[in-house]
Amino acid sequence: MTVRFEDLRVGNDLPALARTVTREDVRAYADAGGDPNPLHQDDAVARMAGFPGIIAHGMFTMGHLGACVSSWVGDPASVVRLSAQFRAPVFMGEEIVAGGRVRSLDPETRTATAELWVTVEREGTTEFAIRKGEAEVRFPD
Amino acid sequence: MPGAGLPGSVRRVNLEAEGKTYEPVPFDVDEARVDAFHELFGGPPGVPPTFLTVAEFSVLPHVIGDPELALDFRAVVHGSQEYELHRPLLLGETLTVFARLASIRQKSGNGFLVIEMRVTDVSGRTVAVTRSTMIERAASA
Repeated sequence: MTVRFEDLRVGNDLPALARTVTREDVRAYADAGGDPNPLHQDDAVARMAGFPGIIAHGMFTMGHLGACVSSWVGDPASVVRLSAQFRAPVFMGEEIVAGGRVRSLDPETRTATAELWVTVEREGTTEFAIRKGEAEVRFPD
Repeated sequence: MPGAGLPGSVRRVNLEAEGKTYEPVPFDVDEARVDAFHELFGGPPGVPPTFLTVAEFSVLPHVIGDPELALDFRAVVHGSQEYELHRPLLLGETLTVFARLASIRQKSGNGFLVIEMRVTDVSGRTVAVTRSTMIERAASA
């Protein structure tokens, strides 16, 4: 289900999008995205870097965030800007939840700006895998 | 983000390399790879904005392996990412990626490297601009 620009209001939430991150997904992402960093494939390397095991690529989490935005607007071609700050690492088996909120609307250019984030629940607290993300979406006439 | 550089990583990114540009590299908006992104992340049809990471990774090996930059990739984490799209990417087209070390800073022992890439089409028009901030973490004591 996608939105129409006319129906948007500042403060509207983007529908949250959740997924569980698996080793297979991260492996598949390394091939698709072309990022061979062993930090995302080899537990020994990840442990040497101070993590309990491999972590998801930041771009894996951002890919999920991008899907949340594209699904909301209905067409990836409408996304004219997308940014993210990577904060907490994401471990295998964890659930990440992408979300966002409309921050401003420009009827002249039919552009919506949304603040974005990706959270992960860990030991009873909400960590931000991505914070201060932002999307600029231009809706067709 | 927890995790630090591997013990013994005492090299520091070379601040003098700021402004350096790299040889342009071709980048195919390969249909099979775009399909792989869709399989992984879902979302409506079209090229996802985060597919631009593939363009970045077509150049990154040159940056990472650049002896003049002297980046310790084992200690590098992805700090933030920005994509600006001037027009949607089209399936099957071949684009060109121009990379530039937009800024290199040192803060609290960590190195902050901003790699900017301009992606152009056959007519030379800018299709997208990408900005990745890579953080070279200080070596743990």
